[in-house]
Amino acid sequence: MNALSSIFGYLHGDDGWNILSGLANTIILWLVGSVLGAALGFFIAVARRYGPKPVDWLLKAHVEVIRGTPFLVQAYLLYFGGPYLCLALGDGSVCLTLEPFHAGLLGLTVYGSAYYSELFRAGFEAIPRGHIEAATTVGFTRWQTLRRIILPEMTMLVLPSMVNMTILLLKETAVLSIISVKELKFQVDIIGNRDYAFVESFTILALVYWALVEICGAVGRAAEARLSRYRFAHS
Amino acid sequence: MSWELFWLLVEASGLTILYSAVSIVVGFFVSAAVCAGVLSSNRPISAAARLFVSFFRGTPLLIQLLLIYYLLPQIGLNVPSAVAAVLGLSLCTAAYQAEILRGGFQSVPRGLIEAADMCGLSAFATFRRIRLPIAVRLTLPALTSEAIMILKSSSLISVVGVVELTTMAKDLASSTYQPLPIFAAAGFVYLVINLVVAGFGQLAERAARRGHA
Amino acid sequence: MNRRALINWSLALATGVVLGTALPSAASADVLETVKKAGVLKVGTETEFAPFDFIDKGKHVGLNVDLFEEIGKEMGVKIEWVTLPWDGVLPGLETGKFDIVAGPATITKKRLERYKFSPPIAEATVAILKKKGDASIMKPEDIAGKPTGAGKATAQLAQLQEFVKKLPKQGEVKEYVGFNEAYADLAAGRIAGVANSLPNIAFVAQTSPVFEVVQPTFGVKTYFGFPENAAPEYASLNDAVAAAMAKIKADGRMGKIQKKWFGVEFDTPAEVKDPAI
Repeated sequence: MNALSSIFGYLHGDDGWNILSGLANTIILWLVGSVLGAALGFFIAVARRYGPKPVDWLLKAHVEVIRGTPFLVQAYLLYFGGPYLCLALGDGSVCLTLEPFHAGLLGLTVYGSAYYSELFRAGFEAIPRGHIEAATTVGFTRWQTLRRIILPEMTMLVLPSMVNMTILLLKETAVLSIISVKELKFQVDIIGNRDYAFVESFTILALVYWALVEICGAVGRAAEARLSRYRFAHS
Repeated sequence: MSWELFWLLVEASGLTILYSAVSIVVGFFVSAAVCAGVLSSNRPISAAARLFVSFFRGTPLLIQLLLIYYLLPQIGLNVPSAVAAVLGLSLCTAAYQAEILRGGFQSVPRGLIEAADMCGLSAFATFRRIRLPIAVRLTLPALTSEAIMILKSSSLISVVGVVELTTMAKDLASSTYQPLPIFAAAGFVYLVINLVVAGFGQLAERAARRGHA
Repeated sequence: MNRRALINWSLALATGVVLGTALPSAASADVLETVKKAGVLKVGTETEFAPFDFIDKGKHVGLNVDLFEEIGKEMGVKIEWVTLPWDGVLPGLETGKFDIVAGPATITKKRLERYKFSPPIAEATVAILKKKGDASIMKPEDIAGKPTGAGKATAQLAQLQEFVKKLPKQGEVKEYVGFNEAYADLAAGRIAGVANSLPNIAFVAQTSPVFEVVQPTFGVKTYFGFPENAAPEYASLNDAVAAAMAKIKADGRMGKIQKKWFGVEFDTPAEVKDPAI
C-alpha cells in the first residue's frame, strides 16, 4: 500500500482547503496567544517583583493554579462551564458563553502568561545583585535599571526557554479541538475519523507541526545570534 | 460527584506520578548528554544532537508514542506499554531539558571558566564542578516548569494503553455524563501534585542560592 | 535552504514513508491458528463509548464485554482486553497489537474499503437527543432553524447534515471532537439537539437526568459492526467470529444482551455487504 500517494490525495480539493484553514487558525491562535501571553507574563513578573506583597501573593496563586492544571481541563471548564457562570443584571442576566475561537484564544493567553512570567522571574533572579546596586548608585531609575541592565542581561538566559515555551504553546493549540476550535488537528483528524486513514492523518500532523517548530526554532536562533553581540560587549 | 469517583481519580493519579517521575529523571540524564552534544565542537556529534532535539521537540508527543509503540515491533523490538510510555515521555522531555540547559551553559560567566582553566582543572572537571552546577542553578525555575509540563503531558500515554488521571477523568465523564465536576476534580488533583513539585523546586532554588552566596 | 534544514526535511519525509509503509504490514502466519494456540483473543477498544464499552465504578463493562465473553466461549478462547483512546485503536489493529476491534463503528462504504466488518450487532440509525423538558422539539423535524451538533467525521453527522438540508429552515450544524463534548454543549445550552445513534442516546437519557430522546429515528438505516483486519491471514479468524456470532444470535443470547444494554432488541441482518452510506 502506498501511504505517501494517499497523503497527497488528501492535500487538494475540499480536504486540502480544510487543512489549510485549520493551519491558518492554528498559526493565528499560536502567534496572537504567545505574544499576548508573553506580554501578560512580563507584566505579572514585573508586578510580582516591584508591586506590594499582597499583589505578589495573588499573582503567585494565579500562576500556580494555571501552571498546575492541564490546559485541557482549563479549556474545557472555560468553554463548557462558562455558560453556567452568569451575572444577574437589571434586566436579565449575562453568561460567559464564548465562541470556541475566543475561548481558545483567551485560554491560551492566560495559560501562556503563567509560564512566561516564571521565565521572566528566573531571568530577574539571575542578575547579580551587584549590577543592580551599581545601577542604583549611578542614579538609574527603576525603569532605567530594568531596561538597560536587567533586560539585556537576562535575555541570553531566558531566550532558549522562551522558544521552548512558545513551541509548547503551539502543541497546546491542538488541545483546543476538544472545544471545537477548528484548528489543524481538528481538521486533519477528520480524515482519520471519516476514512479511517489514521496513518495518513498522523503523518500530515507530524510533518506540519515539525515544520512550524523548525521555523520557530530558526527565529529563536537568529535572535540569539543577534543578541549574543550584546553579551560579549558587556562582559 | 461521589467520593467513590474522586477516589478513582486519585488512584489513577498514581500512574501519572510514577510515569512522570521516572521519565523526568531518565530524561534529565539524557538531556545532559544531548546538551553536551549540541555544544560539542565535534560536528557530527553536534549535528546528531541537534537532530534529536529537532525531532523530539518538533513533532507531537502523541505521534512519538505511536511510533515507538507501533513501529519498533516492526523491526523486531516488541515494547510493552510501560516501556513505550517511559521511552516516549523521557525522550521528549530530554529534548526540552537539553535546550533549557543550553541556555544555562551559555550564561555561565566566562571568567569562571577561565579561572577554572587557570587553576588547572580538566575540561571534564570544569564541566562537572563549575559549568553544570551553575547551569542547573540558573535554570531551576525552567526545569521545574518542564517537570510540571511532563506531569501534564503524561496524559498522552493513554494512547499506548496506560490509564492515567486524564484518561480516567474522560472515562468517568463519558459514563456519568457529569463532565464539569469530574474535570474540575481532575484539575484539582493535578494542582495538588504540581504544587508539591513546585514546592520542591523552590526548596532547590533556595538551597542553590545559599550555595551561591 | 541550509544543510541542517535539508537533513531535517529528508528525515521528516523518511518518517512519513516509514510510517506509511511499515505499519500495515503485519505478521503473515494464520491468525486464527495463533489465537487458538495461545488460547487468547486480544480485543482492542476505547472506553468512552457507552453502552458498548465504558467504565463503571472503575470497571470496564458494556455490551461488548458481554458479547465477546460469549464469542470467546464459542471459540474456546479467553478474551484479553486492550483499551486505548480511539486514535490508537485502528493503528493497533493494523499492526497486530490485537486481533479484532470491539468499537463498534457504523458500517460505511468508505470504511469497508479499508477494513472488514463483523456481522452487525445493532442498528446505528440516528435520532435526536434534547434537553429534558424542551417542549419546542417533539419530533426530529422540530430542529428546523435551531443549532444542533454531532461528533465530527462520523456517519451520524453526515446523516444530520442531510436531514437539516431538507428542512424548511436550516439551523447551524456544529461539529465536535466527540459525542461527549456535544452532550456537554447541549447541557451548556449552545445547541438544542445532538444527533447520534439511538442505542447510544437512549443510554445517555437513561443515565443522565438532564437529557431526553426525541423519537422517531430519521435518515437511512445503518448498522454497527466490529472492525476487522482485512489482510488474508485474518480471514479464518474473521470467519470464526462471524460463525460464533451467528450461533449467539440464533439461540437468543444476542437478543438478551441487547435487551440488557439498550432496553430493546434489534433485528439485524446477517451481513452488511452494501451499506446505505
